[in-house]
Amino acid sequence: MSVLRIDQLTKNYGAIRAVDHLSLTVEAGNIYGILGPNGSGKTTTLGMILGITHPDSGSFSWFDSPDPHSARRRIGALLETPNFYPYLNAVDNLKIVAAIKGRGEEAIEEHLRLVRLHERRHSKFKTYSLGMKQRLAIAGALVGDPDVLIFDEPTNGLDPEGIAEVRETLMKIAARGKTVIMASHILDEVEKICSHVAIIKRGKLLATGTVGAILSNNVTVEIGAADIQALKRLIQEEEELHFVSESGDRLILDAEAGFSAERINEVAFKQGIILTHLSVKQRSLESEFLEITRQN
Amino acid sequence: MLKLLNLEWQKQRKHRIFHVLIGMYVLLLPTTILPVKSIPELPPPINSPDALFQFPTVFTYIGYAGNWLSFFFLGFFAVLLATQEYSYRTMRQNIITGLSRNELFKSKISFLITLCLGATLYYFLVCLFYGFTHTDNYYLSTITKNIDYIPRYFLMCLGYSSFGFLIGLLIRRTGIALFLYLAYVMFIELILRWLIHMKIFANKSMHFYPMNAIEDLAPVPFAEVAETFRDENGFGFFLTPTEAMIASSIYIVLFIFFAQRLMLKRDL
Repeated sequence: MSVLRIDQLTKNYGAIRAVDHLSLTVEAGNIYGILGPNGSGKTTTLGMILGITHPDSGSFSWFDSPDPHSARRRIGALLETPNFYPYLNAVDNLKIVAAIKGRGEEAIEEHLRLVRLHERRHSKFKTYSLGMKQRLAIAGALVGDPDVLIFDEPTNGLDPEGIAEVRETLMKIAARGKTVIMASHILDEVEKICSHVAIIKRGKLLATGTVGAILSNNVTVEIGAADIQALKRLIQEEEELHFVSESGDRLILDAEAGFSAERINEVAFKQGIILTHLSVKQRSLESEFLEITRQN
Repeated sequence: MLKLLNLEWQKQRKHRIFHVLIGMYVLLLPTTILPVKSIPELPPPINSPDALFQFPTVFTYIGYAGNWLSFFFLGFFAVLLATQEYSYRTMRQNIITGLSRNELFKSKISFLITLCLGATLYYFLVCLFYGFTHTDNYYLSTITKNIDYIPRYFLMCLGYSSFGFLIGLLIRRTGIALFLYLAYVMFIELILRWLIHMKIFANKSMHFYPMNAIEDLAPVPFAEVAETFRDENGFGFFLTPTEAMIASSIYIVLFIFFAQRLMLKRDL
């Protein structure tokens, strides 16, 4: 069953096209990352599928159902900033969330424990630090045990400790088998947490697929030697290595997955070239992302 | 519907501004006219200050005090009921959480209507209390003579609060919205009247302006003033109760209709 199907969704703000004929499908159980630079239309897209922004054209459906309101009660979402009644405490705020979702209030204490706000549950929302507010928003998204969770830049504005805490909480949630949709401009975050990714820029979908598929299997090899020219000639004879660039006394190479560092070391040694440096790196989403966004 | 009403109650029951504004109304409605008691004799047509507390005139005096109090406290609260959901961005969050825009609208309006019903019931009880403790001889007919003040009072509360709510939704910023609400009721409408008709009072059109119609539901209780005005100008200073009720009802329906349109159409 598809959880979310977006079809040709478009939104203009005056002359600016924030979202441009965007189509994508999220299946049950996906940890789906929407990756794009700031201002690429991530939040606008989430705003439309969550009912707060009216699309100019296109459509979307949740759980293959035509009724978006009852669908939203099966979704827990944190969009941009945490929004709560400042004069109410954590428990009372979550009770309002439960009332809107038409769910019981029993699990509220448990959610507050999960985000480690249980001790401060009777303090007013306005007395919370940004990290605590963000964590309350995550607890709010969990109320009613939703099938789908949506997080928009969940670590924005947090200090390193806060970021680590939020990520840890997200991983815990993902481990429960929920479908998670997460918008982020932080590649590392998407790479660590997500199973699927859609890359968008200026409101357009550039690429979509599993994180593994977007990440090609190739590796980056960095190699260095005292005699860099001899090394270069050696590389040209090797079929599985492709020259990418040269920096100082090092060469950056592209290689197929399964490339053996041992063999190149052996070959070079036989030719009388002593390697001063050899490293093999998995290609990161960052390099793929830059590659994809540069092409477009 | 009860669930939606209860949702708004959950939002307001621990809200200090709600307590303060409603508390002021509750406190001031029975007490504003008390100082009159210390005056031994009042000019005609009132003569004795007891008239303020006796059946059937108690309804008109407390009603006029309530006119000011509901304009201030209920109206202010209605403005805040709209603007605070914007400033806290909770209206947006409510929708994301799963409320439909129309449910949110119904939740707000049903709360306002309930509040106005409560304010009217309280007004009725205050009138009964003063009436029974100050009137020496009364028949059922003396008590019920001004009983049409009850629905008029309710419409007046709802008139101010639905107007305040609409202004709040339109402006979204608490400070500016409160100022505009106050300014419109107190002088912008007068200025409009002057700009359009070049007259503030001596023109029959004055009756058809919204805040004037709503004010006339519980007007200044000096009937003689109105009589003199009628003799000089050929039309009444106040709308008749029926006219005021019909005009106000039309305005209330319009205010609520536009408030609903805004809540349904606008991006959050």
